[in-house]
Amino acid sequence: MENEIIVKLENLVKRFPVGKSHFTALRNISLEFKKGEFAGLVGPSGSGKTTLLNIIGSLDTPSEGIATVIGKRINDLSHKAAAHLRNYNIGFIFQTYNLLPVYNVFDNVEFALLLQKMTATERKKAVMEALEWVGLTDKAKSKPALLSGGECQRVAIARAMVKRPALVLADEPSANLDSVNSNHIVQTMKQLNRELNTTFIFSTHDEKVMRYLDRVIQLVDGEVASDELIKHED
Amino acid sequence: MLEIKLAFKNLLGAGLRTWLNVIVLSIAFVIILFYNGMLDGWNEQARRDTCEWEIGSGEIRHPLFDPYDPYCYQDAHKAIDADLQKLINAGEITPILVTQASIYPQGRMQNIVLKGISPDQKLLKLPSDKLNGGDGDIKAIIGHRMANASNLKIGDRLMVRWRDVQGAFDAKEIVIADIFRSNVPAIDAAQIWVSIDVLQEICVMPNEATYFVVNDEYLKTHREALAPNGWKFASKELLLKDLNDVIKSKKASSGIMYGLLLAIALLAIFDTQVLSIFRRQKEIGTYIALGMTRFKVVRIFTFEGTAHSILAILLGSIYGTPVLSYFVRAGIPMPSSVDQTGLAISASIYPVFSLGLIVSSILLVVISAMIVSYIPTRKITKLNPTDAIKGKIL
Ligand SMILES: Nc1ncnc2c1ncn2[C@@H]1O[C@H](COP(=O)(O)OP(=O)(O)OP(=O)(O)O)[C@@H](O)[C@H]1O
Ligand SMILES: [Mg+2]
Repeated sequence: MENEIIVKLENLVKRFPVGKSHFTALRNISLEFKKGEFAGLVGPSGSGKTTLLNIIGSLDTPSEGIATVIGKRINDLSHKAAAHLRNYNIGFIFQTYNLLPVYNVFDNVEFALLLQKMTATERKKAVMEALEWVGLTDKAKSKPALLSGGECQRVAIARAMVKRPALVLADEPSANLDSVNSNHIVQTMKQLNRELNTTFIFSTHDEKVMRYLDRVIQLVDGEVASDELIKHED
Repeated sequence: MLEIKLAFKNLLGAGLRTWLNVIVLSIAFVIILFYNGMLDGWNEQARRDTCEWEIGSGEIRHPLFDPYDPYCYQDAHKAIDADLQKLINAGEITPILVTQASIYPQGRMQNIVLKGISPDQKLLKLPSDKLNGGDGDIKAIIGHRMANASNLKIGDRLMVRWRDVQGAFDAKEIVIADIFRSNVPAIDAAQIWVSIDVLQEICVMPNEATYFVVNDEYLKTHREALAPNGWKFASKELLLKDLNDVIKSKKASSGIMYGLLLAIALLAIFDTQVLSIFRRQKEIGTYIALGMTRFKVVRIFTFEGTAHSILAILLGSIYGTPVLSYFVRAGIPMPSSVDQTGLAISASIYPVFSLGLIVSSILLVVISAMIVSYIPTRKITKLNPTDAIKGKIL
């Protein structure tokens, strides 16, 4: 189904306690994301991009409103159910890669599968395939410390994609990369988006990332300022 | 599986710090084994020697008899009746008569205990057969402690003075027929053994005894009534109680020693855990984002801390096995001062490392490491994953 809605946000409000009062990071956000979208949240620093991604990723809960992700209401998920949702359906990509330093590339990618019931052979096949997507098969045995930033982020993409999640959330994935590497990883993700029909939601400041987006949602002070579909002539 | 793999990767990745913790913990582990094995070995040896030399499988005692009160010896004896005589003939019990006496080595008076035992008895290891014969001399055997203390050699003659049943003093010369080596001071220090027939005669206590040592056969045949009419029965366990108490208190005091060492090792693990949870928040946040429950993250960190103890046990067995098995073969030499405690102790103790001791020491080390590893991980359950991913300070 091309038009299946996999993320639905209704009147989302997020407040953080600050001292005795609180700070409102998200105000009345209502958005829908369909399967296969390649969408980005853009906006100035502090506009609430990370906060919104965290709620969609069930790492945080909204103060008001309803967030439904892949059929699950984030508001009332137990810790266990949220962990299960992330484990099977959501891949995360972080600005700082967040690879496990004691593990080599292969193990880092495999890690995402260890929590699922898979045999070692199935895992190996899936990991090698994911490393092929990001072009790192020859670095499978390297430790993250020996990789460049771009390579690290490609490992993180492989880790997010290896379980073939319905949704990938990427919080400023190119912020620590130079322009060549930024282009490269966005192209990689775009290709995976097309081939596997995975939904990607980014947060980004990066013009190079924005060029590839099919949809740009502008956040300002925790509100949706604009929401546009982009037509690419290709 | 995942926990194990992760724990060892992280631990070995941490390098020197891990090994310092592991080394201290492994020393604690080996010392725990050493002390307990030594005390168990002593206990086993002392129990065996005490039974073989002193108490057999228990004692039938005159109701007034208290071995620690020499003044009761005067009254604590009576005639052996026909039933007891049958048991003596069957070899299930052997009578012993006890009286106070004095000797005069180098002209100074020394109080001793004179004990009469049958030269034919097979129940105790005492070389009582040496009391046979003697062409009119009264033959006596003594232990090496008594021999050293009073400077006596085989063949020496000495004057012994005692009171007979009426309380009248009498004196005779005895000759040392043998000096035996036993680890049991209770049958040795300040004691002279003579034939019970001789003692009965010179004390005018015909066919009397103070107590009997029994064997296992007696316990089997008299299970219902261990004490014959007019006598008291003292079981082996009762007679070994002093020994058990001493071993227990030694275990407690050596426990303080290695407990301190264990505490240092555990503190180091605790500290490492606190630090690593603090430093690895981002990793914890990542685990949670990848779909781990906090409970599982707690398990990973707890296991990681506990794995110190597993490495410590492996390391401890690498260097501990040759060291401890050397002592099992060669024994641990004991300073002679330990002999003064009055408990049976040999010149060297052969430690005993039972499966029970090994398993309980392993459990002690692993479980205590697990507890100190777990306590700091409770912080993880309070951690906000969105903060953790960014690596914010807790
Ligand atoms: N745990 C928190 N407690 C209090 N305030 C918070 C918390 N998390 C975020 N905020 C505030 O909410 C606002 C939105 O933060 P958020 O991180 O979502 O912004 P962002 O759009 O991702 O910014 P950037 O582009 O700098 O990453 C900020 O003003 C931030 O200070
Ligand atoms: Mg942000």
